[in-house]
Amino acid sequence: MTPLFTIKLAWRNIWRQKRRTLITASAIAAAMLLSLFIRSMQEGSYALNLDNATRFYSGYLQLQHPEFSENQSIDKLLPSTEEFVGEIRGIEGLTTAVPRIESFALGAAGEKSKGVIVMGVDPGGEDAYSGLAARVKEGRYFQRDDEESVLIGGRLATYFGLAVGDKFILYGQGYHGVTAAGLYHVAGVLNYPNQQMDSRIVYLPLKTAQNLYNTGEQVTAWVLHGENVKGIPALEEAARSRMGEGVKVRNWADISPELAQTIGLDRASGQFLVLVLYIVVGFGLFATIVMMTLERQREFGVMLATGLVRSKLQLLLVLEALFLGVTGIALGMAVTWPLLLWFYFNPIPLTGDIALMMEEMGWEPIIPFSLAPELFGAQILIVLAILALCSLYPLIRIGRLRVVTALKG
Amino acid sequence: MTIQIERLTKIYNPDTDFPITAVGDVTVEIGQGEFVAVMGPSGSGKTTLLNMLGGIDRPTSGRVLIDGEDITALEDKELIGFRRDNIGFIFQDFSLLPVLTAKENVEFVMQLQGRSQRECEARAMELLTEVGLGDRADNVPGKLSGGQQQRVAVARALAPKPRFVLADEPTANLDAATTRGLLDIMQRLNEKEGTTFIFSTHDPRVIGRARRVIVFEDGKITEDRVQGEDRTE
Repeated sequence: MTPLFTIKLAWRNIWRQKRRTLITASAIAAAMLLSLFIRSMQEGSYALNLDNATRFYSGYLQLQHPEFSENQSIDKLLPSTEEFVGEIRGIEGLTTAVPRIESFALGAAGEKSKGVIVMGVDPGGEDAYSGLAARVKEGRYFQRDDEESVLIGGRLATYFGLAVGDKFILYGQGYHGVTAAGLYHVAGVLNYPNQQMDSRIVYLPLKTAQNLYNTGEQVTAWVLHGENVKGIPALEEAARSRMGEGVKVRNWADISPELAQTIGLDRASGQFLVLVLYIVVGFGLFATIVMMTLERQREFGVMLATGLVRSKLQLLLVLEALFLGVTGIALGMAVTWPLLLWFYFNPIPLTGDIALMMEEMGWEPIIPFSLAPELFGAQILIVLAILALCSLYPLIRIGRLRVVTALKG
Repeated sequence: MTIQIERLTKIYNPDTDFPITAVGDVTVEIGQGEFVAVMGPSGSGKTTLLNMLGGIDRPTSGRVLIDGEDITALEDKELIGFRRDNIGFIFQDFSLLPVLTAKENVEFVMQLQGRSQRECEARAMELLTEVGLGDRADNVPGKLSGGQQQRVAVARALAPKPRFVLADEPTANLDAATTRGLLDIMQRLNEKEGTTFIFSTHDPRVIGRARRVIVFEDGKITEDRVQGEDRTE
């Protein structure tokens, strides 16, 4: 039997019971629609949230001294010069590289003191990257040659009872054990998106931070950002190969494991839902394939009696299952693709308190969708895997079929 | 072509307390171009005999020799090839593939033989014309009457140019006129193509047209006669 004849026969066979085939294909299509809708929304949200969240803290990637991550020692630094970072400026997909000093100090004002996170940033570069200036809810952002000013988180300001213009002391350990101490004026109070950070964060201009910690032309990290979340692995690989062994390249998940874990758990819950959906559809598909096999026992007997070899009959049934699945996939894609395309360009707007909260954080109050090809690929692979599993039944059944018994019907 | 059946026996449930002997120690020979009816009541074992003759079922003991080749000794894979190239089957319920047209049904076994599409089509049309269905070649079985379907089945059985055709009660579902027409066709093809036809039947209309009648009862041949000539053993 020629391949073309086999294909023709398989294709016509699935349409012997039009209604059943359409119902089964529709079930596959519905499962694809639901699962792709869920996964597309999830991945779209992760990408947006990750982009928003990383801008304020970790970036997509950070370049650090190889030993900095062990205890975040202010002694383990990298140069803050353009020559140093010039190596990676040309990486395709890299949009930002900003220097930061991140360390700890004891903050004090009046009778109160508290451990704070000190972030030394390049005022211009940092604002262009994270939009820090827009977070200033009272006072002003750093100005050129602003050397004695700090920006502090709103909750931290409340804790100390500080207002714009008040004095604030930072005291800690600097480079190679020197004492780091400085008296600053509060230039502005921030509305920091992360509550925990809002109660601990203190921003200084990079030069001021370098003076405080006596680091000279050095920083604790270069923060890198790219065009999109999808490009992070390639960016990481490129940065690693260009910077060599003397620089450690860390990604956002390594720097913020809690965020990675949160996304991981949420993703897993979505995938579990998809799994349950496909198990239900899988049983429906299996039932159809069982029916397609059992109701044609005599026909199979006739085909085997007249000289069709078992393996070709098995191939025919696998093709039928495949066509059934492909019909479902095609139907699913035909319905899902335009829908997701619509939502990709018209994300779901959030309203109410959630929208207000997000706007306060400087984030767009929307639920975006992803059109990542791997999402579609994964659904197709799942359907094909279910088909492969369901096809085992007819394969085994045909393998064991006795022609004389089959001919009796 | 000669079919030699030697001491053929089929026992169902042989290792139980209730073995059933469907065919018991049958020996018979059928020659080239014969038009043979195996008649007997239901359960007499004639279908089992035809199944073993067609290599569909294996005997408990005995041999079936086709031109000296013992088909009961063939492996399953060899048997499939043997059936495809040497035996045509006609079933009581026609058993055409419902999704294929009459022409495609006739082409089916030739496709299995690996013949070219052109050859398949030419032979299919030749046979369909022979059975009077040249103008219905593109109809699927559902659009054909029972008699027409059985004529397609006859064409299908003859398409691969088999050495013999086994027909299991081919007229059981047909009315008198259709049966007469079908028998005319089979008799003509038997003469034209020289193909041996072996029927199992209890239809007197078929028996009346057969040149040789083998009467089967309780798994044994009780009578073997050429019409008009008694060969009872």
